[in-house]
Amino acid sequence: MIRGRLKHSGLRPLAMLVALTVGSLGGVLAAGWGPKLGLDLEGGFAVTLQPIDDASEELLDQSIEVIRSRVDALGVAEPEITRQGETIEVSLPGVTDRERARLLVGQTAELRFRPVLSSIPGSIEDLLASTSTTAAGETTTTVAGETTTTTAEGVTGQSADRAATPFQDTTTTTAPGETTTTVAGETTTTTAPSGEPGLTGFELTPREDDIADQPVVLAETDDEGEVLNTYQLGPAVATGTIVSDARAQLAPTGEWTVALEIKASEIDTFNSAGAAPCFAREPTCPQGALAIVLDSRVVMAPNIQQPSYEADQIEISGSLSESEAKDLALVLRYGSLPVALEIQQTREVSATLGEDSMRAGIVSGLVGLGLVAIYMLAVYRLLGLVAIGSLTVSAGLLWAIIAWMGETRGLALTLAGITGIIVSIGVAVDSNVVFYEHLKEEVWRGRTARSAATGSFSQSFKTIVTANMASLIGAVLLYVLTVGSVRGFALFLAIGTILDMIASYWFMRPLVMYLVKSRRFAHRPHLLGVATTGGPDQ
Amino acid sequence: MSVVRRMRSFEDDIDFRKVWKVGTTISLLVLLVSLWGILGRHLNLGLDFEGGTSWDVPTDSLGVDDARDALRPAGQDGAKIQVIGRGDSRVLRVQSETDDLEVQTEVSEALADAAGVEVTDITVSTVGPSWGDQVTEKAQRAMVWFFVAITAYIAWRLEWKMAIGALASVVHDLIISVGVYAVFQIEITPATVIAFLTILGYSLYDTIVVFDRMQDNAARYGPTGKVTYTGIVNMSLNQVLMRSVNTTITALLPVIAMLVIGSFLMGAAALQEFALALTVGLLVGAFSSIFIASPVVAWIKEREPRYREIRSRVVGLRGPVLDPVGAPAGLGPEAGDPSSAPRARPVTPGQAPSLSGRPIPPRPRKKGKRR
Repeated sequence: MIRGRLKHSGLRPLAMLVALTVGSLGGVLAAGWGPKLGLDLEGGFAVTLQPIDDASEELLDQSIEVIRSRVDALGVAEPEITRQGETIEVSLPGVTDRERARLLVGQTAELRFRPVLSSIPGSIEDLLASTSTTAAGETTTTVAGETTTTTAEGVTGQSADRAATPFQDTTTTTAPGETTTTVAGETTTTTAPSGEPGLTGFELTPREDDIADQPVVLAETDDEGEVLNTYQLGPAVATGTIVSDARAQLAPTGEWTVALEIKASEIDTFNSAGAAPCFAREPTCPQGALAIVLDSRVVMAPNIQQPSYEADQIEISGSLSESEAKDLALVLRYGSLPVALEIQQTREVSATLGEDSMRAGIVSGLVGLGLVAIYMLAVYRLLGLVAIGSLTVSAGLLWAIIAWMGETRGLALTLAGITGIIVSIGVAVDSNVVFYEHLKEEVWRGRTARSAATGSFSQSFKTIVTANMASLIGAVLLYVLTVGSVRGFALFLAIGTILDMIASYWFMRPLVMYLVKSRRFAHRPHLLGVATTGGPDQ
Repeated sequence: MSVVRRMRSFEDDIDFRKVWKVGTTISLLVLLVSLWGILGRHLNLGLDFEGGTSWDVPTDSLGVDDARDALRPAGQDGAKIQVIGRGDSRVLRVQSETDDLEVQTEVSEALADAAGVEVTDITVSTVGPSWGDQVTEKAQRAMVWFFVAITAYIAWRLEWKMAIGALASVVHDLIISVGVYAVFQIEITPATVIAFLTILGYSLYDTIVVFDRMQDNAARYGPTGKVTYTGIVNMSLNQVLMRSVNTTITALLPVIAMLVIGSFLMGAAALQEFALALTVGLLVGAFSSIFIASPVVAWIKEREPRYREIRSRVVGLRGPVLDPVGAPAGLGPEAGDPSSAPRARPVTPGQAPSLSGRPIPPRPRKKGKRR
């Protein structure tokens, strides 16, 4: 049992708590931090995604990164992309172009196969810089290790290098075995002329202009976003929907390859539109390479080495590392996201409706609080004032916490969260009432408020802690086990409950102790709202 | 009013043993109706649990019929259409089972056109069918764990017999709250679920406050062998009644403000969903700690040999001290003295000398027994 210890000054903890509240509030305000509003209050677009099959945390985190990079293109002020267990929540407050948002976030982007028209190593900027000196100067920018080709199974091992390498003499330093002379020669002829004359017109195609049946200019980048190659690409000859499966596998030669399987119904189209023209190096596919394009980025541009393929006999090879092969297989299977995600829920909240809800919430919240304050004052008089003070301290700390969490953790306040706060206000008032009723009862029995207060508090505080712990346990469980709006509710309920215990112990207790000791009230207990009708006549 | 005055002034005790029978009967009736509603009529589960799409169109003019006409080209004229709120906050809500994104866009445009608003003014929410199942399943699982944890906590902090009482009352609250939604076919949304959870929180708080006092009183008066457990319960209820009344009022004030101002005057539909469930639940919750939780505990505890013995002894006495059956309210051995109300008696110095020698000893003993 907690024994209330009544120190002589008594008010020191109270002063410290008030100072803490004022300090943290002031700090938050000075920093210009305000609560971050959730989507249901501010309006915007939110989508909940879930993997179709089980996915590891790592894959989900990768997906989040992909989504984040797409969202950045939208220019949303504060995108919130979080993972809750297996669920990915994307929330884009204030987004107005919903159509685009949904396309970018909600849908797995389309995988496209585009014939390579021409290519240059490095980025356009690199080329512009280097052409002013000599073409040879740029050999350092590319990495030879990325070489890929498409070959029929029987041809594995004869992998051709990628189109870019001919420029380089890096082959001497990196795995020279990869480069085969035949392909290099072919690509050189196409690249060199196309790079320079077309240069002025070269500009990377922005994502929204990346339309399937239009030619585009796109880059291939490494993990760090460094541009490896830039390609001019023709209209797409096929999309990812033709892929039925793709697997990374270790070939007998010890090399990692990707086995690609195309749907039986689509293989003819693939052969006639993609494989045949490229193999023949027709004008639509002069380099003989077919780029795999995702999210406006070239993933790879393997050379086509057969005029036609069997649906389940396609292999992409060429000095791939294990992880590269696996990534490529994932991309082919699922599009840009490393796991196949399914839209579970989308919400598009109109800003005006959100505003209305918030205004109504604030107005009714304030009116409700006012009514509670009046009631507390009417029933408990001066103690009611203590209760209001105690609530104010809790509220101040809560505001600081909300603002701080909004700023540093991106935690937004939702309508559900506000409900959690309203409940915690109820709990806080309850704590006050438990104590005051206990005190009133003791006084009614004939004790003085002064002598009864300490015992009353320790009794009441035990009750308060027991009951608050039950709320807290419930809140934590809900937070851990549920999804979506219930979590917001649980979080703010938990915070409010903890603050209530703090305010009860370090605000309500010392202040009430001080009041009952004070000579001014010792003989006027009715000011404390106790014994208003007098005790038993004895 | 006079009852309130009497309670407030601590002048009189209410004999809860007499009203228990009435209260519990009412409770059981309401429970039956609720169960009938839940099992017979089924719940009106909202979009988030069933899957589908809903559009909230802010409009002060577009009517249901016009909206239906506008939906026809998209093949969605079978959708559920209702008007929520009034005035500036009037919202036309369209709900359909489709989760096709193209249909969704088409409908958004058609509705925006018909209402004369921008597409971005419309709030659209789409839920896949499997997501709804998951949400439901997660909520159910959380609820079960919630019950297990709370029961375990009360069993540890107070005692397991009280945990059963608390569980009974919380389940009672839940069934009735959900039952109200089933009987009146009010739609259940995630907001409603949150409101139900809130109710459980309040109800538990109420119950624990009563139980905590019961445990204190049992520790005090149990050893005297003069008070039956039912008497202790009755005494405790009287002691905390004022607190229950006050906290229920203070909890209800913001909620009613939310209901009246937020949803009726300002017409915010989102608040209405919360406030309605909360109002029902708060009342039920306050009721159940008195009429469900407490009698259940009294009933179980009376079966303990110790209290059974006290009971047979006390009932055998000429002046039944605090016997649950047939004891007139407030009638103790010192029936003539108003201050002899059981609550007041032992604490008033000098009133119960037999108690003064053993100030609250049984608490440690009980702990020892449990181990």
